[in-house]
Amino acid sequence: MGLDYKLVFWNKHKRIYDKWIAIAMVLYLAIFFVLSFVTNPEMIAETIIIRAFGSLAIVMLHIILAIGPLTRINSRFMPLLYNRRHLGVSMFLATLIHGVFATIQFHVLGNVNPIYSIFTSNMDYGSLTNFPFQVLGFLALLILFAMASTSHDFFLHNLSTKIWKRLHMMVYLAYALVIMHVFLGTFQQEMSLFTIGMLLIGFVTICTLHLMAAFKESKTDSFIAIQEDGWLEVCHPNEIEESRAKIFTVENERVAIFKNKGKLSAIHNVCKHQGGPLGEGKIVDGCITCPWHGYQYLAHNGQSPPPFTEKVKTYELKVMNDMVYINPEAFAEGSEVTPISC
Amino acid sequence: MKNDEFYIGYVDEVGSKTKKSLKRFVIASLVILVIGALLFGFFQKPAVNSSFDFGNPTKVTGIYHESPYPMLRVSFSDNEFKDLVLLGVGKFGPNAYLKEIREKESNLNGKRLNIEGQLIYYNGKTLLEIDDSQKVSLGNNNSNIKLLPKSLGQLKIEGEIIDPKCYFGVMKPGFGKIHRSCAALCISGGVPPVLVSRDENGTEDYFLLTDLEGNPMHKDILPYIGQPSKVLGEVSEIGDWKVMRINVDQIEKLNKESLIY
Repeated sequence: MGLDYKLVFWNKHKRIYDKWIAIAMVLYLAIFFVLSFVTNPEMIAETIIIRAFGSLAIVMLHIILAIGPLTRINSRFMPLLYNRRHLGVSMFLATLIHGVFATIQFHVLGNVNPIYSIFTSNMDYGSLTNFPFQVLGFLALLILFAMASTSHDFFLHNLSTKIWKRLHMMVYLAYALVIMHVFLGTFQQEMSLFTIGMLLIGFVTICTLHLMAAFKESKTDSFIAIQEDGWLEVCHPNEIEESRAKIFTVENERVAIFKNKGKLSAIHNVCKHQGGPLGEGKIVDGCITCPWHGYQYLAHNGQSPPPFTEKVKTYELKVMNDMVYINPEAFAEGSEVTPISC
Repeated sequence: MKNDEFYIGYVDEVGSKTKKSLKRFVIASLVILVIGALLFGFFQKPAVNSSFDFGNPTKVTGIYHESPYPMLRVSFSDNEFKDLVLLGVGKFGPNAYLKEIREKESNLNGKRLNIEGQLIYYNGKTLLEIDDSQKVSLGNNNSNIKLLPKSLGQLKIEGEIIDPKCYFGVMKPGFGKIHRSCAALCISGGVPPVLVSRDENGTEDYFLLTDLEGNPMHKDILPYIGQPSKVLGEVSEIGDWKVMRINVDQIEKLNKESLIY
């Protein structure tokens, strides 16, 4: 939880996560290099490096993009999210090696600046098949650089969660640019149904997972509470499990109603760290614990336990006729609200 | 309670169901990576058997001539010659590396030069990359042989314009859309443009392109690189190269996909 910024220490889970990232990347590169040298002995090493790291980065990007919706569909995948930034930075490094080698190979040692050359050496911007695909890759690399270089809680805190999140949502723009970069670039000369098919399957899989996750969440958002004197009837107390929550959308805001030792408390559903869904978390050691990175809040006031300083909005609840009601008017972040018995 | 497993990154314990899901995800990801590596690695077009003796320089002696691009006529036996197109490092022609020798000898045409450079060769054509002006020196005997071009008349050739440095061996592959930008840079940097004409059997013929006066051309030809075109011009043969004098405005772009880029 972000009070100050110290050297990142690798805990047990991060070490395991990073070990598998390294194994997977080395495995991919080893297969690609051996296969290329054996089946295509005339090809120069620079070309193989460019292709190996470029294709590795694309496969990794698909895996990264699958993690978000998978965790929203099934919380058992949540550990994948915990250290996803290491996967993202690793993917960026693969992309960087691809981009740097390609720039050196095709744009350096010429009579113009290499970056200027990327934009001007092919001026067929009006053509689809002849489009200068390098520009698309360069722009995607810039986005991924911005994301990788701000992949630390220091930037998350200083840029604000909202801006940081928007910046990191640009991964979808980068993905679109990468797909176009590949289809308008390498697929224009290396036509194979298998490689094109693989990328298409990847694209469809990513879209499907996102749609499935959106459909699941739409059920929460489509909930219509019954109004009574300004209070909204949301559920029966028994529908909420002990130490867990149910999420409801009231006044266009998602609210999590937690049950802690038989008493109910309501807080804003969005974690101050990265916007994680607190309502999918659990009460651990008396604190509401975010499922994404383990940030904690006290149920009765929405405040992180000292010395941490994060605060979320709280809501007033009442139980009447064996039904839970919520006052949609939120209290200020960190306001004390006495939990109610049910 | 349905599923009370809850993962916290900084807590060592992980529930058994969560572990199982993670194992499945890791295995699936590894399978996808292996399939990706196999497909992307296997389905690559084979590179041609062109050569670039990078890091393995060769000393050659021959007669310098500009037709109009700097070349060196190297004798292999009594009546066998090879005309090596001279090039510079990177995406440049040879002029920067010939500057010093030109200051010593104003007219190099017909002079014997010793050059140490890196050979590039493919399909019967040879080029020589010079990476240091100190590796170019005047030889002892000059030639009295006049290199007279042999006229082949006016021809209209269908083909594509390439940069010979990469096409003949520096980059493998030196073709494909990915390479088009590099070809444009090479030609704008002083590498001579070459028209490649390919017949039905795949046999290729090569033409060094000049302007109508026989002067080198670079920037004017850039919009036509890698575009299947019909090129009209006076063709002459100088040594083992054909040279074509063209008017770029008369290049006829064809509505065809490029076979090279």
